Amino acid sequence: MDSKDLGFLSLLLVIVLLTIPLMFNYLLKLNIGKKIIISVSRMCVQLFLVGIFLKYIFEFNSLWLNLAWLMFMIVISTISVINTSRLKKKIFFVPILLSVAIPVLTILFYFNKFVVRLDNIFEAKYLIAIGGMLLGNLLNGNIIGANNFINNIRKAERKYFADLMLGATKFEALLPNIRESVLASINPTLASIATVGLVSLPGMMTGQILGGASPDAAVKYQLAIMIAIFVTRILSIYFVLIMIIKIGFDDFDILKKECFLEK
Amino acid sequence: MVYDFQLWKHVKKVPIKGVIEVKMIEFSNITLGFGNKIIFDDFNYSIESGKKILLNSPSGTGKSTLFGLMLGFLKPEKGQVIVDNLVLNAGTIKEIRNKYGYLSQDIEFGEGKVLYIIREIFNYAQNRGVQLNLNLLNNLMDYFEIESSLLENSARSLSGGEKQRLMIIILLLLNKDIYLLDEPTSALDESLKSKVKEYFLGMQKTVFVISHDKLWEKDKRVTILNWQGKVGNIYGQ
Repeated sequence: MDSKDLGFLSLLLVIVLLTIPLMFNYLLKLNIGKKIIISVSRMCVQLFLVGIFLKYIFEFNSLWLNLAWLMFMIVISTISVINTSRLKKKIFFVPILLSVAIPVLTILFYFNKFVVRLDNIFEAKYLIAIGGMLLGNLLNGNIIGANNFINNIRKAERKYFADLMLGATKFEALLPNIRESVLASINPTLASIATVGLVSLPGMMTGQILGGASPDAAVKYQLAIMIAIFVTRILSIYFVLIMIIKIGFDDFDILKKECFLEK
Repeated sequence: MVYDFQLWKHVKKVPIKGVIEVKMIEFSNITLGFGNKIIFDDFNYSIESGKKILLNSPSGTGKSTLFGLMLGFLKPEKGQVIVDNLVLNAGTIKEIRNKYGYLSQDIEFGEGKVLYIIREIFNYAQNRGVQLNLNLLNNLMDYFEIESSLLENSARSLSGGEKQRLMIIILLLLNKDIYLLDEPTSALDESLKSKVKEYFLGMQKTVFVISHDKLWEKDKRVTILNWQGKVGNIYGQ
């Protein structure tokens, strides 16, 4: 690897930069001083632990350990989607887990097998790094989309009833909401696909270039990963919405309030 | 305690030649309340086909709840709703809902041109068998005093009264058996109010109206279903 490792002093010097947001916190009375310190401390601990953990995972490169770590990431994403969308965990854990796991695993294995053309598609470096990128992005998309959908159901309940009474099926009556929520979920990705390179150099590309890869290779990887992210994101939000629709309504097509937490 | 409200025994029945009176809606031993408030307590009541029922008791007494029960938006704690000889349950809900033309209190059209929205409604799964009759559409728009150019306008630009009349027209085009109208004349002027009233009271269908507009209760063709609070006080006029 060509990139220079960061020493203790380097990290100290980057942490010193935090005095700037802390200064703004004081100046504008943002009241986030504690939050900044806790968040940064959490990040430090989490990343260092992950660093140690990944070091061993990459070293052992064992099929089951790799898959277990991937599963762990999938479970954390699932819980995060459920909590931020105020869904009941008991009811929605398994369905949302499937809605996250199926798209990620499908696209991830496709990516590793046919795009990167790995001999071992369970190779730790690819499985965990690419899997993590897909999951991080899909998490974002699912949170935006599911929140949008649930808020809209509550806001537009009368319109939904009226459409049912006009002869719409549950799915037809929900379709405007489904459309809006899928779009809300994928639009940020679509926007970043359109501006990549011009406005931002994404993390993956930056990482590869710093890691010594030629910009040429980095660009190709970036292109591939962005499409993979986009596809995973639309698949996953669609599955999440279908699960909410299947489970969240009773046999009279009425919203089951008990499946959702109050605001 | 069992109440049996035979509203019709006080009403002089005028049998129509050769037509047997058929029960269209039947409430059988319905019990339903919200929290501590009991709205229906072992409620029994039936409505014959073709009747025009006006619900005009004060708000909070359960008029919308009664609509909710008929439409299957609310489930009774006990008892059954029977519509056209079908017991309302998960297996019959689609068929039963398909019999209703329901005008809700706040009508919302989606986005787009009015005609496009009408066509979209006729494309819903349940309506595939119904052809959009453009002639009838024009005649109804004429009768309810809506300019035909309005079909080309965006649904967003519709006034409250236009929405009300347009939705009534759509429901009539869908040719339902039972009409449930929640405040159908609230946004209309006097002459339009009476046009809406005349249309619905003149038809053969079963019609339920929730309205506090006096013109409905003044009409002799209407049967008033009026109660205060718990349905133990229900009475017919």
